[in-house]
Amino acid sequence: MRTVTIDKNAFRRFVDEIIKRQRVIGVCAKGDRFDFEQLESADQLRLDYDVTLQPPKKYFLPPVETLLTFEVGDGYKSVYDDTPFVLLGVHPYDMVALNQLDTLFTQDNYDTHYMKRRHNATIVACDVVSPSKNVFASSMGTATVKDGFDVLLTDIGNAFVMESGSKKGDRFIAKAQGAVDSSEKDLQARQKIQAENEKRLNNHKLKCEASYLPKLLERAYDHPVWEEKAKTCFSCGSCNLVCPTCYCFNVQDDVNWDFISGKRQRAWDGCLLDGFTKVAGEHEFRKKRADRFRHRLYRKCKYVPEKISSQIMSCVGCGRCVGACLPDIANPVKVYNRLVDDLGIK
Amino acid sequence: MDRPRVAIFDFACCEGCQLQIVNLEEELLDLIDNVEVVEWREAMSEQSREYDIAIIEGSITRPEDEKRLEIIRTRAKTLIALGACATIGGINKLKNNFEMSDVKKCVYGKSADMPHLETMPTKAVDEVVKVDYKIHGCPIDRKEFTYVIRCLLMGKKPEIPEWPVCVECKSKGNPCLWDYGQVCLGPIIRAGCGARCPSSGFRCFGCRGYIDDPNVNGAKDVIERYGLSVDALKAKMVLFGIGQGPTNA
Ligand code: SF4
Ligand code: SF4
Ligand code: SF4
Ligand code: SF4
Ligand code: SF4
Repeated sequence: MRTVTIDKNAFRRFVDEIIKRQRVIGVCAKGDRFDFEQLESADQLRLDYDVTLQPPKKYFLPPVETLLTFEVGDGYKSVYDDTPFVLLGVHPYDMVALNQLDTLFTQDNYDTHYMKRRHNATIVACDVVSPSKNVFASSMGTATVKDGFDVLLTDIGNAFVMESGSKKGDRFIAKAQGAVDSSEKDLQARQKIQAENEKRLNNHKLKCEASYLPKLLERAYDHPVWEEKAKTCFSCGSCNLVCPTCYCFNVQDDVNWDFISGKRQRAWDGCLLDGFTKVAGEHEFRKKRADRFRHRLYRKCKYVPEKISSQIMSCVGCGRCVGACLPDIANPVKVYNRLVDDLGIK
Repeated sequence: MDRPRVAIFDFACCEGCQLQIVNLEEELLDLIDNVEVVEWREAMSEQSREYDIAIIEGSITRPEDEKRLEIIRTRAKTLIALGACATIGGINKLKNNFEMSDVKKCVYGKSADMPHLETMPTKAVDEVVKVDYKIHGCPIDRKEFTYVIRCLLMGKKPEIPEWPVCVECKSKGNPCLWDYGQVCLGPIIRAGCGARCPSSGFRCFGCRGYIDDPNVNGAKDVIERYGLSVDALKAKMVLFGIGQGPTNA
């Protein structure tokens, strides 16, 4: 697998070439913020962005998708999204999140809808240039990423270093006119940037090693912080919906006017929402706000990492929930630090 | 199956929600194929005394309306409140901020004391009779209306969102309007409109009514953090926020 250097003008031409042949989704400005959008020209691309409004998961698990259509007496037909695409500019913490989703969507039940899109994607990750206001990826060990991407880009000033991480990545890089094998100097420049990012993407500082969190949470179930914080929680689910590792969904059928055919759709759900745990007979087992509030923070740094045997937590430190929460209670670092203060590190 | 008999009644409202039904276009034919409309002033002249489903548009603002609604309820197996006027009292609840005698004088001038011009504080439909289903919004969403009707015809409970507008707003990737100085009611208002207003850059003003369990502590905290006063929030809520009861059916 190759690592090449390409100057920025050549890179722009290269992106324009890909746009002619394929659907390319990249990071663009959206007002004074940024988000992933389909590119029409390489000029729209903003690889110096801080954080996107939405995480890239929506290209694999859309907010709403049709899973199948059915007709009584005629069975059902699965509906798949089958267009290949390039996803350009995924930050390391979001790449780590996608790697986790890949494990989750293949672990118990292989999710064909998610995986079809995943196989169709060429993911070009990129090292962070401008840290966002709330990022704390350094605390979570996700400021850089070693695998999962097809290509990893690093901005070293007047050029990008492009590392291939897969066969798809090799083919991608092979098409880049003007790319040359990276010099020792370029690789050192990249190394320096990554080493710095591992420290500086840290606008909220966790007071313990991230890998200690599952053990800390073992002792925190009845801590007063859950009630205290949840007092002002709107149960609006914003913290779930902007999170790159939240993957819960709800499935609903809609029947057509002929009353024999229809479609089955799934839509994002969130564990903070009232009604999330409602089951048959209207029984709801996490009716209290505090229970739902606690659940998310347990899920991020205990339940999911344990489920997928990961040393890296399911909060990847993107900081999106911090900015999305109107009453400012969702910041995982603030809650975990409070637990460290009160319960100590044992 | 026997086509259920449906009657549509309007009380105090702009009839904009009925207009949404008239404007269903091709789906209107599907609807008419599957139900028998036995009374609908906006679209036909026949009247009937028996119906399986009564659809009520508008709010209740006069004593005689209350009686009329009670009679409709006794004749209907299922009763649906249609649109904000019916589900939460809607715009008409503005009048509840004033003395009824002043309201009458303002509207009818010298004739205010005529007996047929009796008025009372506005009520939502469920403040008078039992409501089985609510179709929220000002005006209603056509897709949601036909979905609810199809569910009813199948004997299935329609799933109306219990979560707030923020869910749909965030799913669309909108930046939050609070960050741009707007007092958006999204966190306490029932979703289902697809975050229509914030998606076009306007704050949600609450036409779908509160969610079942709006967090008042949260709202107070947020307006303080954003340097606003509780009065400012109340002022934002006048259009749809007055004396609202729970919006779940
Ligand atoms: S923690 Fe914040 S963002 Fe999450 S549901 Fe509660 S109020 Fe909404
Ligand atoms: S919990 Fe918050 S900071 Fe952590 S990954 Fe999710 S959105 Fe990002
Ligand atoms: S809810 Fe709005 S649109 Fe519907 S009748 Fe009332 S005022 Fe008109
Ligand atoms: S703009 Fe309104 S609806 Fe959207 S997230 Fe913000 S408060 Fe919620
Ligand atoms: S965003 Fe709010 S005001 Fe606008 S349609 Fe939806 S509920 Fe009504």
